Amino acid sequence: MMPLAVADYGTEYKILKIGGNNEVKQHLADLGFVVGGKVSIVNEAAGNLIVNVKETRVAIGKDLALRIMV
Amino acid sequence: MADQKITIALAGNPNSGKTTLFNGLTGSNQFVGNWPGVTVEKKEGRLKGHKDVLIEDLPGIYSLSPYTTEEVVSRNFLVDENPDAILNIVDGTNLERNLYLTTQLLELGIPVVVAVNMVDLIQKNGDVIDTKKLSRELGVDVIEISALKGTSIMEAAEAALKAAETKKAAKPVKFAKDVEASLKEIEGLLVNVPDHLKRWFSVKLFERDDKLPENVASLAPKAEEIITKIETAHDDDSESIITNERYEWIASALKGTYGKKGSGELSVSDKIDKIVTNRWLALPIFAAVMWLVYYISVTTIGTFVTDWTNDGLFGDGYYLFGNGREEFTEDMNAYYAENVWTDEVKDNVAKAADAGITGADEILASIEDQDYEAFDEAYGFYGAELDDKEGGVYSISETVDTARGEDAEMPANEDYGTWVPGIPVLVEGLLDAINCNDFLKSLILDGIIAGVGAVLGFVPQMFVLFAFLAFLEACGYMARIAFVMDRIFRKFGLSGKSFIPVLIGTGCGVPGVMASRTIENERDRRMTIMTTTFIPCGAKLPIIALITSALFKGASWVAPSAYFLGMAAIIISGIILKKTKMFAGDPAPFVMELPAYHWPTVGNILRSMWERGWSFIKKAGSIILISSIVIWAGSTFGWTDGAFGWNPDLELEESVLGAIGNGVKWIFAPLGFDNIKATIATVMGLVAKEEVVGVFGVLDFEGLTALAGYSFLAFNLLCAPCFAAIGAIKREMNNAKWTWFAIAWQCGLAYVFAFIIYQLGSLFTGSGNIFGGILAIALVACIVWLLVRPYDEAKKLTAVKA
Repeated sequence: MMPLAVADYGTEYKILKIGGNNEVKQHLADLGFVVGGKVSIVNEAAGNLIVNVKETRVAIGKDLALRIMV
Repeated sequence: MADQKITIALAGNPNSGKTTLFNGLTGSNQFVGNWPGVTVEKKEGRLKGHKDVLIEDLPGIYSLSPYTTEEVVSRNFLVDENPDAILNIVDGTNLERNLYLTTQLLELGIPVVVAVNMVDLIQKNGDVIDTKKLSRELGVDVIEISALKGTSIMEAAEAALKAAETKKAAKPVKFAKDVEASLKEIEGLLVNVPDHLKRWFSVKLFERDDKLPENVASLAPKAEEIITKIETAHDDDSESIITNERYEWIASALKGTYGKKGSGELSVSDKIDKIVTNRWLALPIFAAVMWLVYYISVTTIGTFVTDWTNDGLFGDGYYLFGNGREEFTEDMNAYYAENVWTDEVKDNVAKAADAGITGADEILASIEDQDYEAFDEAYGFYGAELDDKEGGVYSISETVDTARGEDAEMPANEDYGTWVPGIPVLVEGLLDAINCNDFLKSLILDGIIAGVGAVLGFVPQMFVLFAFLAFLEACGYMARIAFVMDRIFRKFGLSGKSFIPVLIGTGCGVPGVMASRTIENERDRRMTIMTTTFIPCGAKLPIIALITSALFKGASWVAPSAYFLGMAAIIISGIILKKTKMFAGDPAPFVMELPAYHWPTVGNILRSMWERGWSFIKKAGSIILISSIVIWAGSTFGWTDGAFGWNPDLELEESVLGAIGNGVKWIFAPLGFDNIKATIATVMGLVAKEEVVGVFGVLDFEGLTALAGYSFLAFNLLCAPCFAAIGAIKREMNNAKWTWFAIAWQCGLAYVFAFIIYQLGSLFTGSGNIFGGILAIALVACIVWLLVRPYDEAKKLTAVKA
């Protein structure tokens, strides 16, 4: 298990755990980040990531990427 | 049936094509932006061909949780207004996530019809959706549409209409057995809500939603026991249980309905993103794009059109399609060469230039270029200088004024090509023809047309700027800017999303402040609302231009320094406020959908440009019209030889406006501009920033040094914005206390900045006041301390733990 922030580009991962408070978790879930779901990194800029989740591109900050465990 | 109104609510994810569908169904003018959260307020329109059917366009949302303002607006509407049906538009290329909202809409006890959008794209990708099976799974009608091409959209509306008439409420999706059992138990507690809302409220109670009506929220303690039991069983919190149940249901429902061809390779959008969000290239690309936008809208097209509006439409007049302009200019130059630029004049100007009289070199250059327009401009600015200095030995005014006077036989505009007189000329002719009295004539020409015209002159420039911003927004680049800027803004306690309001604010603060709605975190949103108007908006540009040309001889550093000052005010406010108790806490994490790039339609861009531009014109038509009349009345009513009355040639000092300015000017003494006109201009600036230039249009800058001028500029750029923007702040804050706090913060910060600039500046130039200088240094030290003091550690720890 590792945070998404350090994962490799282009590889598809399964989300194992999502940390953070309920508000943050809920918003992530609304955008498609759920435990068991698939995610892959498309691009990165200074720690902020562009990821592919459920076929949409979502930009997330580094702090969030550290809370999504894959 | 015909007399009964039917309401259909349009709901869907951001970027699912909802607004396009709304426009298609109602034919109404509404902007479609490729920026999550464009529809921040619900809009309504009538269904084409069905006068009795009202379509309500709800904001784009991902779910009905209480997370963002948009979500709360939408669910309040759906629960309280109880529409007859919901038309749920889902993006067919991203069914899994879009259906998440659908599963929640099905719980509201309202008939639902699902419209799967972008079927053309799905077919192009070679994917297949089995809508019949999907319809069976969801238990509602599913219709394939293409909102962009208008395919089957009326069928979708008809289906929603039919659903509304049969009043058959949608059935919620079934969760796992134990979850269902708990929900049933909670439903049993809900005796005081309507039957159709029982499922909805039981789920919300289960999720411990904190934005429930009083009669439901009061049941929370009773439900707690049921919730805790199932939480222990699942080893998860209740909200996550429901979320997982929903996604699991979707996954099973989509099995066999959605055939997807192989993916995994990078799309065109991804390839563009690789470049424009690249670690090294992102900022240079962004800077280049913004430079291009401003270069085109402010210096080229914008200036050209603005000049035409100011000098032509609201000036003397213009040549239709330039027909006749060249001949006229040629003849004018020849006339000037013979009558104005006499040997004596040339000699005097050359001598004045040698003696270093301000502006003499500019006049000289215009004579050498044989350019009468440049000469008129330079002479208008600096002619008086030549008269004043050294007892008038360099004066050229006698020759020039005679040659340009009323009796001179100058070439006349009307004799060349197709000359169209300007509005003031036409109106003056009309008023003279009907023998209008002087009072009314002055009111109409000097008050209304001069005031409103000065503002409207600047509309074309704003339109060009708005068109560019709309393009950036619609093509998808704006969302990337937020992503790129986030890493910089984060350091100042703001999120990347705060940058979009600032960017739009460079055009006009009103849409800028409104754009802050896409920021989910309330603290961040408030802070963005408070700081957005620090950036110079379109209306502040003329102030900068005026001060630059009048006091700094057009120095090129003044305008960029104004933007720099604005950014500095935003950053300093961000850091200082973030460290106060009110704004403390974890900076909200950055999450944002990046829509795929696409070419926006011309109609779309024009619509957005028109919508924003029109709101500016409406402002000019109302607030600015009234304030123009007030200024005109204030400056023409006053005391002539001790008797109060109306006098169009009144000196400002003797007018009512002058008396008011005189009374309050002491406030600005520490800032260096305790000058009546500067004071009036500042006060009128609160009504509308455009008025500052209106007041100063006749100011002779007496008693203002360059330093005081810059201090004046700084104060006017940073202090509370115009009434319209203050109104927007009040609407967005939705709280009187916060609105006043924002205004006080803006005015206070402006005062402190201007004070420091003026006092330290005078200290350096050697004319300073020791007391003022010490106070200014103390203020700088105080700001530095506020900037570097540590964050509240205790707060940070709890945030991390959470």
